[in-house]
Formats: sequence, C-alpha cells, structure tokens
Amino acid sequence: MKRSVWSFLLPLLVVLAVGLFPLVTQKDLHRETAFTLLRAVALAASLNIILGFTGYVSFGHVVFYGLGGYVAFYLVAVKGWPFWAAMLMGGVAAALLAYLIGAGILRLRGAYFALVTIGVNEAMKAFIYNFQPFGGPTGLTMNFAVYKAYGGPKAVLWMTYYWLFAIAILLVLVTYWIRTSKFGLGLLSIREDEDAAEVMGVRTARFKTWAFTLSAFFPGLVGAIFFFRNASIEPHDAFPLHVSIESIVMVMLGGQGTVIGPLVGGIGYQWMRVFLLTNPLLKNIQLAVAGALLLLIVLFIPAGLVGWLRRRFPATRRFLL
Amino acid sequence: MKRLFWMALVLALALGLLVGCKKAEPTAPAAEEAPAGETQAQAEAQEIVLTIGFTESKTGKLNVSSGRQAKGLRLWMKQVNEAGGIKLSDGTVVKFKEASYDDESSKDRVQELYTKLITEDNADFLISPYSSGLTAASAVIAEQYEKVMITTGAASDSIYKQGYMHVFQIYTPASRYLTGAIDMLKEADPNLKKVAFVYEQAKFATAVVKAAKAYAEEQGYEVVLFEGYPADTTDFGPFINKIVESGAEAVLGGGHFQDGSTFARQLYEKKAPVKAVVLLVAPPEPDFAELGDAAYGIIGPSQWEPQVKFTPEAAKELGIEWYGPSNEEFIKAYEAAYNEEPSYHSAGGYAAGVILEYAIKKADSVDPKKVKAALEATDVLTFFGHIKFDTSEEAHGLQIGHEMVYIQWQKKDGQLVKEVVWPKEGATAELIYPLPR
Repeated sequence: MKRSVWSFLLPLLVVLAVGLFPLVTQKDLHRETAFTLLRAVALAASLNIILGFTGYVSFGHVVFYGLGGYVAFYLVAVKGWPFWAAMLMGGVAAALLAYLIGAGILRLRGAYFALVTIGVNEAMKAFIYNFQPFGGPTGLTMNFAVYKAYGGPKAVLWMTYYWLFAIAILLVLVTYWIRTSKFGLGLLSIREDEDAAEVMGVRTARFKTWAFTLSAFFPGLVGAIFFFRNASIEPHDAFPLHVSIESIVMVMLGGQGTVIGPLVGGIGYQWMRVFLLTNPLLKNIQLAVAGALLLLIVLFIPAGLVGWLRRRFPATRRFLL
Repeated sequence: MKRLFWMALVLALALGLLVGCKKAEPTAPAAEEAPAGETQAQAEAQEIVLTIGFTESKTGKLNVSSGRQAKGLRLWMKQVNEAGGIKLSDGTVVKFKEASYDDESSKDRVQELYTKLITEDNADFLISPYSSGLTAASAVIAEQYEKVMITTGAASDSIYKQGYMHVFQIYTPASRYLTGAIDMLKEADPNLKKVAFVYEQAKFATAVVKAAKAYAEEQGYEVVLFEGYPADTTDFGPFINKIVESGAEAVLGGGHFQDGSTFARQLYEKKAPVKAVVLLVAPPEPDFAELGDAAYGIIGPSQWEPQVKFTPEAAKELGIEWYGPSNEEFIKAYEAAYNEEPSYHSAGGYAAGVILEYAIKKADSVDPKKVKAALEATDVLTFFGHIKFDTSEEAHGLQIGHEMVYIQWQKKDGQLVKEVVWPKEGATAELIYPLPR
C-alpha cells in the first residue's frame, strides 16, 4: 500500500497545532500549558525509539532527563556557558551515557533489561548525591543575573519554550525518518524476533545501541530546558521514577512503534492528568488511575490507540504511521 | 467480539464514574464575600478584594506540612475578613480571597500553576508553596510579573541569594537552624569541645549542618565527625560506633522525621556516651514522644512552638513594634477552626498572612510597589517571633530577624513534655544537661 503524504504531515500538524497555539494567543498561561504538553510529547516520542521500535522496555528514561538537566545547569549556572551550548552538552552527555551503558545492558532482554534500567536510575541518583561539583544533596541554584543576561525571566520562559517546540518538531522528523528507513526496519525486526533478525543479517548489537543513544539524546535536551527555567535542580527532582513510568504509559496509550502514537498519547495523557488532578474524587488516586489505564491498554488494545485504528480500519494505514 | 464487548463495558463504567464525580463536585471554595448588609453600610467606603495566590501540596509526600501551612493561611484570611477587613486611611476597606491549586508536591507544574494564578486568577499577592525546591521554581514566575511573594516553609538560603527582588522569607534560613544550639551548648558547658555532625544526605539537612559546622569551628569547637547518611537509613549502628570512637561529646544532625526518630532510639539503645543530642525536624513533632525514654533529653530546633512567649512587652524591650494576635489567641482560634494543635507549619502560614497584612497597613495602600517598600522596612515582633528582611542586593528578602527556638523533651509527673529551653528569654524550663543516660 502506498503511503500517503499525510502519514508525515499528520504528526507534524499535531505538534504544530500545540506549539503554535500560545504563539497566536500570546498568553503566558497557554505557553505554560503547551510547555507541559510538548515536554510530555518529547519524552514519549524519544522513549518510543527504544520502547516502540526496538521493543525494549526502559524504566531509565528519566536518567537521561536528569543527567542532561544537571550537566546543562552546571555549565550555565557555574561555568557561564551560553544556554544553547549547555543544552547541547546536556543532550550529548545523556547520549554518551546511553551509549556506554547500552553496550552492556542491551544484551539483556525482556524483564531483565527493564529491571536493570531501574537500577541505573538508582545508581545515577546515588552518584549525584555524592558528586560535589553538582552540589551533592543540596543541588544547584541559578543566579537571577543569568536570566537578566537573556532579558529577564519572561524572555527566558519564551526562549525555552521555542527551544522545546523546535525539539518536538525535530523529534517528529527523526521518528518519521527511523520509521521509514532501513535502520528503522532493522529495529522493527529486532522487536519482532531478535534472533531471526540476527540470522537475517541485522547487526542487532549496533542497531540497539544506536537506538538507545538516540532515544537518550532528546530527554537530555528536555531536562536541560526544564531545569534551566526552574532555576534550581536537586537529585530527587531530577530522577523521579514516576516520570519514566508516565512516559511508558504515554507511549502505550498512543501506540508504540508508530510516529503519531506517542504524540497523541502524550497529549491525551497530560490532558487526562489535568482532569484527574482537578476532579475532587479522583485527585488522590490519580497515579493509580494511570496505572489502571495502562493495564486496560495492555489487556485490550496492546497496540495503543493508533495501532488499534490501523488494525481495525486498514484504510487508515495509508496516513496513520 | 467478546473482547469488544468487555472493552465497551469497562469504558462505559469508567465514563459513568467520571461523570458521576463531576456532578458530585462541590462548588469551589467560594471567596469570602462580605455580607450584603455590611457592604451597604460602607457604601461610601470603597472595598477592595485582593486575591492571594498560592499552591498547596494536597497530594504527594509534602501534603501534611503543606496542608497545615495552608490551614494557617486560610485561618488568617477568614479572621481578617470577618473582622471587616483592613481599613486604610482613605476609608478603603481591603479584604482577601484565595486562589489555589494542588501542586502534587512536584516541580512539574508549579510554574504553570503560578502563571495561571497571576494571569487568570489575577492574584495580587503570592504565598510560596511548601518546601525550598518548589519555592525556587515559583520565584522565577513571581519575578517575571514583579509580584510580591511571601515565602513560608522554604528555609533554604540559596533562593534569596540569587538576586530575586520580590521574594520575602518568613522562616529562619537553614544556615541559622543549628547555630543557636551551639550557643546553647556553649553556655551549658564551657568545657565541651568535641562535636559530631551526623546528618541525612538531603538538601535541607546538608545545608543546615554545613553552616553549623562552620559556626562551631568559629566558636572553637573541634568537629570530630562529619558524616552524611542516605535518606532511607534504618540501621544507625555503624554511625553510632563512629560517634563513640571519635569521642564526641555532643551529636548534632538528623534530617527528617523517620530517620531522626530512629537515630534517637538507637542512640538510646546503644547507650552512646554523649552529653547532648540535637536533631532536626523530628523532635518538635508531637509523635516523637512515642519513643518513650529514648526521647527524653533530646533537643530539636523549631520555627515556633505553642509555648513560646513573644509579647508586646518583649517588643517594647527590644525597641520594636508589636503586631497581630498573641500566641494564645492564635492557638485558640486554630484549635477551634481545625480541631488540632497547630504545628510550626501552621504558624508559618498564618504568620505569612499577618506580615502581608502589616505591610499593607504600613504602606496604607495596596499598590504592590508600596507594599514591597513596607516589607523591606519591616521590623516587627509577632506571635511567630521577630520578622526583619535583608534588603541588600546580595541577599534580598532573606530573613534576618527571626530566631529558632530549641525544645527539649523533659518529664513532668512522669509524662514526657516538650519544653522550650533556648533562647533564654523564651524558655519555659531549664535545659537538662548532660543527657541523663
């Protein structure tokens, strides 16, 4: 079946719609809401590369988010680097870590890999707690003068928003490329049957490592942006396991292994959370509800919303990728 | 087909539940509207209702402390409104209403929520969330809109040393949490020389002990042990052995409630030969008494205690103004409203309101710039203690007036009771020293 041009335009339009909304209204509140949505989209879409395409469930996604945040924060607040360079280094540091540990832990499969990624998160947290240049347990705080150099907090909040928007768009392009490239085909074959893929000539070890590295680069950038605008970073803020779990929920909700799925999942999940948060009866059990939702999805629609649509209505396959 | 049926059923149930909840949703806590009669009587006088914006950690790990803080603040608001508001010299009556959201004890949405408070709910003045981390994130937003934010429950010094000009701290900063204890030990025993710091490896405790260590060394103490423990430590045996080995005469440290109380119990069980034990956070909590004999003699710093005696007379002696209700009045009103004893978090929330009220009165205006100037000039004694802000460029808004009080668990008729032992002018009992073991 020939792919429609909409398979590319649709995910792009989803991100553009969310991202451009505050630019049109010029309202600060819309910017903040869109920031939360785009952050979710970026985390989900990047996790999708290793979880959706390659089939490795990683609970360690937040490690890269926290590490990128720490590295960039340190470079901006302590070393006085320009933000864009520090952010890039945050992403590179996260990717580098993924490359190094990936070579080791990607040999594990299934539940063992998932378990090890939790361990990596804890190990990273323990390391940061004892790493004095990053402030140890007290973390780091940004001097307001840094913001002034960018034109004050208002300018910083807009600037970081633009960066995040750009990263979300880039992620759409990257995932679309992966999905339609030979590299992506290799990853999909690993997901379906790793041994068979290897026999067929896919260099699984290398493919997996690069997928993991690529999937870690983006949360590094997002973490850099988030903590820069937060003006402070502490170990327990930087590595919350629940962000990893939520990212998995978002990918599963939308449809793992698709381009548009994580975007829909991220936006849908964040929208649901606002609803749960403000609903007086459910607000105390909102994480439990999210867990129940994941259970339902795995039980009934393991392919997620987009996957289900593709299976149920084959005609949608032309434009839902 | 069967699968589809089940899915539809589950979805329908879920939807039903959600819709049901929506209907059951009580009306949002309505603003304290002035009774109609009162408004008519003051028809000629203009009435302004200011919106106080803040987030509360209704869910997540900070919910207990944050909830008490919000209760204190709400009590203040209710009292001011019921008393007819603040009257300015031009006849304007100022009343308050709240706008608040749940921040889930997490940084994820704090900035979004504070932006909403300012742009959608038109908050005139802000109160900080509970905890230093959340406050740092919200301070960026407050500064963007140049909104005055009174912070309470945020003891970290670093926020106030970053150049923010609109943030004002009510709590004694972390750097002075234990310095009073060192002064107290010095007076109790001039021969005491060796101290040990054993503390939780977390932002707050680390910041506190680092400053206390520097102060102790300045005062001529020898710090024989300076060691952090992981936040979830349950076995303090190795640390206690090190304390004994080091020959420390006093132990300072701790972190939060769980670890602090376990540490105190194991110090008692191992009969560590130390003369004084000062722990953060845990001792001022009423639940600490459940340790029984292990609690006896343990000292802890507190921002405020029900027994402290700050009075208008004390203010006169200090040569500063007195403002607000007395300690008894606050405790009585709080107990009547919530049927529980106020903790220092409750008092902090209430005090944040009192200070805002004082500044508006002093400024004789609701203009944020004038209120900010009044806050900068504040030098006042309240039921919560002395409040005065640093106005220098480097540490604007840092609390420099307020002092910690130190409590010690003592025995009255065989029952464990909390007594204030330091500073001298607020003390309700003599310090028991050395620790009877």
